Amino acid sequence: MNGVEPHTPASGGAAHGVRSDHVAGIVIVLIALAVGWQNRAYPLGSLSEPGPGYVPLLLACALAVFGLLIALRAGNSPLFNTIDWSESRRGIVMLLACGVAVFALERIGYRLTMIALLVFMLGVVERKRPLPTLLVACGFAFLSFFLFATLLKVQLPTLGGL
Amino acid sequence: MESVLSNLMLGFSVALQPSILAYAFAGCVIGTLVGMLPGLGPLAGISLLLPATFGLNPIIAMVLLAGVYYGAMYGGSTTSILMRIPGEAASVMTCIDGYAMTQRGRAGPALAIAAIGSFVAGTLSVIALMLLAPTLASFALRFGPPEYTALLLMGFLVLSYMSGGSMLKTLAMAVVGLLLGMIGIDAMSGYTRFSYGIIELGDGIGIVPVAVGLFGLSEILLTAGQPTPPAIQRPTLRQLIPSKVEMKSSFGPIWRGSVIGFLIGIIPGSAHIISSFVSYGIERRVSKHPERFGNGAIEGVAGPESANNAAATGAFVPMLALGIPTGPITAVMLAAIMVHGISPGPLLITQEPQLFWGFVASMYVGNIVLLILNLPLVGLFVNLLRIPYSYLYPAILCFCILGVYSVSNSVVDVWIMLVMGAFGYVLRKTGFEPAPIALGLILAPMLELSVRQSLAMSGGSYAIFLQRPIAIGMFAIAAVLILLGLKPLLFKSKDWRDKVGLEEQV
Repeated sequence: MNGVEPHTPASGGAAHGVRSDHVAGIVIVLIALAVGWQNRAYPLGSLSEPGPGYVPLLLACALAVFGLLIALRAGNSPLFNTIDWSESRRGIVMLLACGVAVFALERIGYRLTMIALLVFMLGVVERKRPLPTLLVACGFAFLSFFLFATLLKVQLPTLGGL
Repeated sequence: MESVLSNLMLGFSVALQPSILAYAFAGCVIGTLVGMLPGLGPLAGISLLLPATFGLNPIIAMVLLAGVYYGAMYGGSTTSILMRIPGEAASVMTCIDGYAMTQRGRAGPALAIAAIGSFVAGTLSVIALMLLAPTLASFALRFGPPEYTALLLMGFLVLSYMSGGSMLKTLAMAVVGLLLGMIGIDAMSGYTRFSYGIIELGDGIGIVPVAVGLFGLSEILLTAGQPTPPAIQRPTLRQLIPSKVEMKSSFGPIWRGSVIGFLIGIIPGSAHIISSFVSYGIERRVSKHPERFGNGAIEGVAGPESANNAAATGAFVPMLALGIPTGPITAVMLAAIMVHGISPGPLLITQEPQLFWGFVASMYVGNIVLLILNLPLVGLFVNLLRIPYSYLYPAILCFCILGVYSVSNSVVDVWIMLVMGAFGYVLRKTGFEPAPIALGLILAPMLELSVRQSLAMSGGSYAIFLQRPIAIGMFAIAAVLILLGLKPLLFKSKDWRDKVGLEEQV
């Protein structure tokens, strides 16, 4: 379901170990420090004439404070090692496939890229039979191209008419 | 009042043009389908459709996207009631009693009451929008940079207080969004910030790749591989008619849900989601038989469904009157107007009366279209749910790539979407809400400009924020919210989220 995540309660509050908010809080602080460090390249200006680095620095400081508070108040969050990442392997495969598709998009054109991506997703990841896989992949690629590029005049990359 | 009526007539003269009617209808159909599909919420649907609106005139673009928005509100209830699958988050509360009614063979009346409640709430809140937005816009003409700074900061605090999760986490995510909004050319000095030599980042990060990544792609990453949905009931037209008792029991919840939903909708935050939780909590509290809730109480369907539709309309008030989005959905819609060179804000209503009043009138039309779509055609729509999810999600994935790429024909945007998808997935696994990021991103330029202008106006003194009455009022509200947020920490008391059934904590 969208946006609503079942929140795993802390196991009785008695279990010890690294909690998800400890990790999240520390990562947030590190992000804030990285932004602050990168922000050195931009002038801070003065209070009466703040420069381009002024607001990012304020925000980085605020983020660091929030990150620290999240880490300090991590007691109610679930233990980090109890978070279920079971679907992450499939997710990584999907992201990698999309990455390859993005790389190919402007090189081999929209339709061939979508056919290849869908054949991979349906045929390899979902293990569907070849015929339905090919029908869905080609049908989607050509219909969506017709709808967006031909009817709605959206510019999509093509390669030799495909 | 007379001017409101004459303006409304102008609006109807625009909204009843055949081309606009056709797009309103198309938006409602697409929205209903989007709302029904698990894995696609209104935000992902609107984000994906946004590029297709660039070639349309701004009125049609707004009408189409608004149709998708409240169509999704309607559509989300169908899968909640029939299958216990909330097509989008605002329908979570409808699942509880709606599905219990389905199990008792009362799916038809549950669907009918959801549609009627949504229609009544939608219509009432359009009337409220029509009366409130122009008044608010004329008041907002008094705002200068300090007032806008105060308004935006107050908005973020309200958002964090009203969100279902932790205030601290919401604020942290809003700051992450604001920092993402710092990428690109600084409007005041011309410096290019945080672009690392990538030319496309000079214009900053767009809302579409971020929104599609955080909401659409991350949802697919979370739900891909789930088992095929269970069998679906398809009630006939005759089975939809509610009994007299059910109608009578729904009357109060629909009215209360409409008022609560509209008021919450104006406030920043995931209003349509929160309003349904609050409405459910209130209905359970005012009921003489609270034990019926969870076992198929029609009030548990009527209240939340009315509230989430009213909130969807209420969210347009600050968007149209102040040019400030209260959530990621209105942020994307605001982007749709800005693409056409129209500046949203207090002057929009006077400078673009056809756009504003045409949009308002189209919402009346849209509500009627949705009532027609959602009652007799419900059997037709549920056929969509027969498509196995294993076929559906790869297609949605391809739509994500297509939609993001077509915004500016840039693969950099698609890379941003992929990164944001992975980021959104991790955030949701660790209990962080991604919505404030999208809101921070869209509000970042406005906040930065108003802070820097305020300081320049005052010669570098922060006291300027405490010298202007409107700004003081807003900061006072912000201070109260911080104190309310700290209360459960200091006194170990329950906060409002626990009371209405939402989760936790500061």
